[in-house]
Parts: sequence; structure tokens; C-alpha cells
Amino acid sequence: MSDTVIEIPSRPNIITSLVRRIPPLRKWKFGLVLSVSYIVVLTFLAVFANVLPFVRRYNVLPKGAEARRLASYRGKPSSEYWFGNDKLGRDTFARSVYAAQKTLTIGLASIVAALVIGGLLGMLAGYYRGWYDRVLSVIFDVLLAFPAIVLALIVVGRFFQGGRLNLGVFEMDKRFFGVIVVLTLLSIAPLARIVRAQTLSLSQREYVLAARGLGASSWRILVREILPNLLPAMFSVAFTGLAVLLVAEGGLAFLGFSVQLPFPTWGFMINEARSDLTKGGGWAVFFPCVLLFLTVLAFNVIGDRVARRFDIREATL
Amino acid sequence: MTAPINRPQEGTLLELRNLRTHFSTARGVVRAVDGVSFTLDRGKSLGIVGESGSGKTILARSIMGLLPKRGTIRHGEVLYAGQDLASLGLKGMRKFWGQEMSMIFQDPMTSLNPLMRIGHQISEPLRVHLDMDKVNARATALKLLQDVGIPEPEKRLDQYPHELSGGMRQRAMIAIALACGPTLLFADEPTTALDVTVQAQILDLIQDQRRDRNMSVILVTHDLGVVAGHTDEIAVMYAGTLAEKASTTELFANRKHPYTEALLRSIPRLDQPSHTRLLAIGGRPPDLITPPTGCRFAPRCPYAEDKCRAEIPELEAASADHSFACWHPVGSPRWQSKQDELVSTGVLSASGGIA
Amino acid sequence: MRYFAQRFLQLVVVFLIVTFVTMVAIQAASKDPARDLAGPLNSTEARVEEIRKHYHLDRAYPIRYAYWLKNLVTVDLGNSPTLGASVRTLVGQRAPITLLLGLYSIVLALAISLPVAVYAAYRRDGPFDRFISGATFAAVSLPNIILAVLLGYFFATRWRIFPYAASKIWPWDNPGEHFKNVALPTVTLAVGLVAIFVRLLRSDLVNTLQSDFIVMARAKGLSPARILWRHALRSSLFSLMTSVALQFGGILGGAVVAEQIFALPGMGLLLFQAVQQKDLLVVQACAALFALAVVIINFAVDMLYAVVDPRIRHARALG
Repeated sequence: MSDTVIEIPSRPNIITSLVRRIPPLRKWKFGLVLSVSYIVVLTFLAVFANVLPFVRRYNVLPKGAEARRLASYRGKPSSEYWFGNDKLGRDTFARSVYAAQKTLTIGLASIVAALVIGGLLGMLAGYYRGWYDRVLSVIFDVLLAFPAIVLALIVVGRFFQGGRLNLGVFEMDKRFFGVIVVLTLLSIAPLARIVRAQTLSLSQREYVLAARGLGASSWRILVREILPNLLPAMFSVAFTGLAVLLVAEGGLAFLGFSVQLPFPTWGFMINEARSDLTKGGGWAVFFPCVLLFLTVLAFNVIGDRVARRFDIREATL
Repeated sequence: MTAPINRPQEGTLLELRNLRTHFSTARGVVRAVDGVSFTLDRGKSLGIVGESGSGKTILARSIMGLLPKRGTIRHGEVLYAGQDLASLGLKGMRKFWGQEMSMIFQDPMTSLNPLMRIGHQISEPLRVHLDMDKVNARATALKLLQDVGIPEPEKRLDQYPHELSGGMRQRAMIAIALACGPTLLFADEPTTALDVTVQAQILDLIQDQRRDRNMSVILVTHDLGVVAGHTDEIAVMYAGTLAEKASTTELFANRKHPYTEALLRSIPRLDQPSHTRLLAIGGRPPDLITPPTGCRFAPRCPYAEDKCRAEIPELEAASADHSFACWHPVGSPRWQSKQDELVSTGVLSASGGIA
Repeated sequence: MRYFAQRFLQLVVVFLIVTFVTMVAIQAASKDPARDLAGPLNSTEARVEEIRKHYHLDRAYPIRYAYWLKNLVTVDLGNSPTLGASVRTLVGQRAPITLLLGLYSIVLALAISLPVAVYAAYRRDGPFDRFISGATFAAVSLPNIILAVLLGYFFATRWRIFPYAASKIWPWDNPGEHFKNVALPTVTLAVGLVAIFVRLLRSDLVNTLQSDFIVMARAKGLSPARILWRHALRSSLFSLMTSVALQFGGILGGAVVAEQIFALPGMGLLLFQAVQQKDLLVVQACAALFALAVVIINFAVDMLYAVVDPRIRHARALG
């Protein structure tokens, strides 16, 4: 958290630069392909959930004889209910797919918003230094010192009453919007710090000094010289950040601070079904857990791969 | 100090037999050191001279065994006092390092641990190798700092490297290297990172210490001027092989290898008129992954002919203290005819300088 | 010294902003803070007005905040209507549990990650390193809610090794029971930390091990253990220390989840309940304490940098 950047001289010595690293392991490429395919399939399901023929019975409570029949299965997966069903007989697969829709939208919207805001603030702090930096540092520290749950209460609480929020083009559930705001606020500070540190070192580079010497405006230097060099790092952080946000959303949903029924997210589903764990309701916990874990893992793998591709050192997020 | 009592004072200390050090990299095998043989007597100093990338640092480090295990292939023998160092293994080498042989590195800023007091860094090998207690080690460290001529040594013990000047840091590093009284001292470009004014002092210090302690010294440098007044012998290294080896006076007076000749021509000399142009060596050092067949200097050598490009000349002794690896050494008929050609076309002046 | 003062001042400002924003936002989010504070039972109009006066809820926010600060200094932060106790008592009872939980998880995580990272970096790209790289990657991707549910199911419900509904037992009363109670929540928090710490420290160590002074240390004939622990580790601690500070907020956030799942009566659970029951003063106090803890940890780590690196110490002494 220190703002003093001490350069520890670590000139790689001749020998280690000669002995190049062993080429990246093959299994990682395999992992990347697997991760991307998984994300593509999940996104496909989420986007077309409403029209896909096999994603049905969403939020449908079976009645009478069927309910009893389902209860006797104890929620086991079957050809009809792929992921089994919960104690109320709802289809875990259909619910999981709709949950993916919500979770991915929330995560994506938050990380994009956070990258834009955090990136901009970080660039300003790193480039102009001085008072910009000092004021923004305090703001970042404030954001970091805020307990997430209090932030969630304040923001989601404001939009608690439900109903729709009309933002011109966008129209969405108020609570949905609230969760996005919470997650964005949570991730601005860490992202901004990364961008700030990168900008700080980039703005000392020769080509930036040269551009300044040629009389380029600050704005032009930021957009044309610094931003393009920040993009690889931001691109990589976008994926790892998304993974972190999915975990955070899971936690909030688990505590009941995310979107509410009829739109469960995975965290919500896990919390909902965990009391049935001992009563044979394990499948209803198992599948959302697996999906959440795999999704987070997949985004982490992609982020790691991008970071290696651009040779970015592991960032502290 | 605690030098072994029965240390012989004369005879061969170090003998290399066809030492080869290769690195396997993603691009291929780098032949950094490719068949080097020489001997070094006790108490003598040897300068290894070469351009950057000629393998001189790797040579020094492979003699000492300081290369990373991974990706390094080492062949040939290094006989130290008659013992093959390759047979010692890493554990055995560790007893040698610091005690029998030690090394001074190029950049004292990065080679001293920035987070450790100077005194601690000097006393560390004393305590590890010689089992000294804290008080003793500190006293010895103080004595060492006095030996290497650091002002206010008492105060320096408790300072960190960043608090010392460049010259003092290098002196401190020498003190560390000398701590356990080594028999063989490597100095890898010890003056490159220093101010010109300090360079001579550091080199003199190393030589004084060599005489006082009867050490052998291997001085690695790219600068012929550095070795000129400070070593008994000089080995000129080119692209992983030795081009020429001779006693210092012999080499400067009677150079045989065209590469040595070219190196000497690239140094300004006082006996030439001022504003004499220096002759740069054309071309670039060869790629060590696919070195040229035949003599490695052939592509850049003005006297090269087909034989040079096809057959590798061996390092052969011309006299007791002079050996070189060249088909057409300085003074040979081909050298003479080419030389005349260069003078007549006005590239060289008759005195050997550039017209 | 100037640096310390400046940094300290900065963190005080951070603390003030966090608590002020918390207060304003919490009270503004409520339709009528006084009615919420009166509680669901005895909310006669007269009582509500009395409370409004008592907590200065009829005044502007800055004045309200000034009164709150004054109360903070005298540690008299009012009463909780729902829990029927003073905020001071509640927080005093609950805070130590969470603090211990955070402390245990950090200590446990460091105790595991230091040797693991050192060995992985020493044998870089060896089988152990690869295994650890894969394992930490999976652990980083494992959300703590999943971990907690799994741990709870297997270790508490199924095998009954650790209690589920943990109760509050102080370590000085019955250490055995105390550690049994906090074991699962601690592990829940520590697993992710271990993964993060190992990855950071390993990559820093790998960098350090390539620097010149390590070659120098080898040339001195020091043993690998000495080189790793005495020379390399210290230079590689900076990212790890920064990470401890950065993660601390996350640990407290994770504590809410862990305490909720394992029913451990700490601050996280208190905050969670208070948020649900609109117990505004408790929320404010908890938020203030969370912020204070984060601020203090950050300051401590900042000071630690100077202890570890003499160059920073000197640069700051001059500044």
C-alpha cells in the first residue's frame, strides 16, 4: 500500500539471460482451449436461455403427483432433469443457466465499468502525480477500507425497493443495477492502483519523454503513448478481475445482498440449498458450486495466459 | 590469517583441459566456452581479455563451477591443485567457494546484498567456513576493511551498501572475497562499473593483495589497458576459444594472432601522433550457436584464406611462454604480403598506425 | 519522520471519510433513522422523538457526525434496539473473535506459504513447483462460500470432527475448545490467502534468485538454506507485505461469510444481523472498526517496509 516505489536493482545477470526459461508447458495451452470453450458454451446457454428448447421449466413448481415423484428421487440428476432438482422440485439445470445469465452480466458490466473508471483515475494519478495523486490515493484508500458488506447494504439498500430503473436506453431491475454499482466500487481501487503504478513507470520511458520534448499535449501523450501500452495489462486484469468479482458476487448473493428471486445467482442457489445437504439435497448444492468454481477457474486461466503472453508480472488484485 | 599451513608456494595451481561449457536454450546450443586449455601457476596472475560475448565471464564461472545447473553442459577437466573439480559435486564445491577460490564481481551495487550490513556480509563466510564467533568475525572483518583501504572502517561495518561510494563498495567486495584467504581469486571486470580515477586504485589493490597473500589471480576484462600493467600473463579469448596466450610483455611486444593485433590497434597509443584514427574491427562476433567452421575469426580477419575458413587452427606453443591459434600469424609471409597491400592502398601507414 | 507523519495523517483522513460516508449513506438510506433506532417494539411517537433528539437526528449531517465522533472518543455509541444492549458491549464482545480469526488465518497462511514458496522457487519448474502452481491456481479460484459449505458439510456434519454451531470460547478459558471452534472458519479464510501468498512470494523469489548478489552469496560458499532464508527471502517480501495489507479488507469481508456459515458470534455476524435489522448504530460502529483495522494494518505494513529495507529507511529519514 506504500506509494513509494523503490526500484530494487535486479539486473538479470548474463547467465540467467542466456539460460532461457523452459518453453511454457503444453498442458497450459490445453487448459486455455478448455477454458475458452467452457466460457463460450456457458455464454451461449446464458444468452439463448429463453429460446433453447432444453432450458425449460425455469421457475416452475411441479404439483401433485409429479412433486411427490421428484421428491422420491431426492433431487438426483435424470434424463429429464439434468442437474436434478431442489426440494421444491425446481429444475436445477434451468435455474443454473438463468443464474449464469445474471452472474455473467453482473460480472461483465462491473468489470468494464471498473476498468474504465479505475483506469482513467489511475492514469491521471500516475501521470500528473502531485495533488491529483494525493487526492486520488486517499479516495482509493477509502474505497479499500470500506467493508464490502456495508457498501452492499448502502447501495443495494437504496435500490432495495425493487421496480425498474430507467436509464434511457437501458432499463433494468434496480437491485440488479445496485449490485453492479457495489462490485464496480469494490474493484475500482485495486484496478486504479495497478494502472497508476504502470503509468508511473511508463511515463518515465524515453519515448514518452521524447513526445513531451516534441511538445505533444498531455492528453495526446496519455491517449497515444501511454494508453496503448497499458492495454495488455488491463486486458489481462480484466479476466482475473472478472474471476474475483464472480467470487465476490457469490459471497454477496450467499448473504442475500445480491439480486433476489425470481433471479437467483449461483451464490444464492448454494445458500438456498445448503440446509438440505444432509437431507439428500446435495445435487442442488453441488451443481451451482461446480459451475461457479469452473467459471472462476476458467477466467483465471485465461487471465493468466494473457498475462504470460504479454509478459506481465502477477498483479496484486 | 587462517590460511592452510602447508600451502605450497610454487608449482601449477590450476590446469584446464579442453574445457567446454554449452548452454541449451530455446534457439539451440550456445557454445559459450568451446575447448579452452591453459595452466596457471601459484602466485601468478592471468588476464583473460575478450570482447563482450567472447565467453570470458562464462569461462571464469565454469572454472569456479558457479553456473546454474539447469541447461548447462560442461565437458573437459578443471584440475585444481591436481584435483578434478567436476568430481567434487556441489557440496564439495561449496567448501572451495569462498575458502579456496573466491570472486569479485563487476557491479558492486548489485552484487552486494542491499539489505545486509557490510560487516555482516564480510563476516558471513568467516563464520560459515572458519567457525569464528561473532566477536572474532567482526574483528577480522574490521582488519579486512583496513587491508583494502576503506576510510573509517569501524563505521563502515554497520553501514549498508547504498551508503558507500562506488569505489568503497568495490573495496568492500574485495574484502569479502579475501575474507577466508583464498588461493585463487577471480576478478570479473572489477573496474567496469567504477569511475576511471578509481579503476587504477582497485587494480593496484588487487595486485598488492595478491603479492601479500601469494594468491593466484584471474582477471577477466574487455580492456587490454587494464591487464597491461597488472598481470603476468594474458590470454586473448575470441568466440569461446583462446586465440593467443603469452606473458604480458611478450604479448605486447610480439603479438601473433591477427585478432590480438586488431585489438591493440583499437587502443590509442601515446607514441602515435594525436588524432590518429583507431582501427575498428569490422563485422560482429560470431553467433555462438552456429560458429563458423574453421578459424572463428576468419570472417573478420583481413588475412584469411580458404584454409582458415575450413580448418580449425589449434592453440600451439611457439615458445615457452607464447602460444597462439592461427594459420597465418603476424609476421608470416601471407600476413606480410597483405600488410604491404594495405599500406600501398593507404589504409595503413608504414608505422603500423592508420594513415 | 516527516514521511511517517504524512502517512499517518493521510490514514486519519481516510478513516474520517469512511466513517462519515458510512453514516450519511446509512442514515440517508433509511426512511426515518429515528424510527429504526427506536426499534420495532416500543415505537411510540414520543419515544421516536426522544430518540431523534438524543442522537441529534434532527441536525445536519456534519453536526450529527461531530456528535458521533465525540461519542466515539468516549466509547459511548448508544444502544442497539434489537439486541437490547449498548453498542459498546456488543462490539466489545464480538470484535476480539473476528480479530483473532483474522490473525489466525494470516499466521496460518504465512506459516504454510513461506516454506512452500521458498522450496518451489528453489526447485523452480521441478515437480513440486508444478504441483504447487496448479494447486494454488485451483485454490485461488475456489470461492470461500464453496469452501466453507464443503468444510462444514464434511468436517462438522458428516465426520463431526469440529463443531458446527460454534460458540464463543476464549482462548484463555479453554484453548482446546477455542481452537476447535475457530478451526473451520480459520481454514476457510486461510486457503485463499495461502494460494495468493505462495504465488506472489514464489514469483518474487524466482526474480531475486536471479540477481547478482545471490551469485555472490553462492561464490562465498554459503549453503542453499542460508542463501534462501537469509539473503533471498528478505528482498522478496515486499509484494507479500503489500498483499497482506491489501487482503486484510478482504479477510474481514470473508469473515462475515465464514462467521455466518459456522455461526461464529464475531463482528461479521453482528454486522450481518445489524444490517438485516437496520440497527444503524451497530452498523456504523462495525464499519468504523473495520475501517480502523484496515487503516492500522496499512500503516503497520508501511512502517515494516522501512524495517525490512534500509534504503527506504534512509530515503524517508531524509524526506
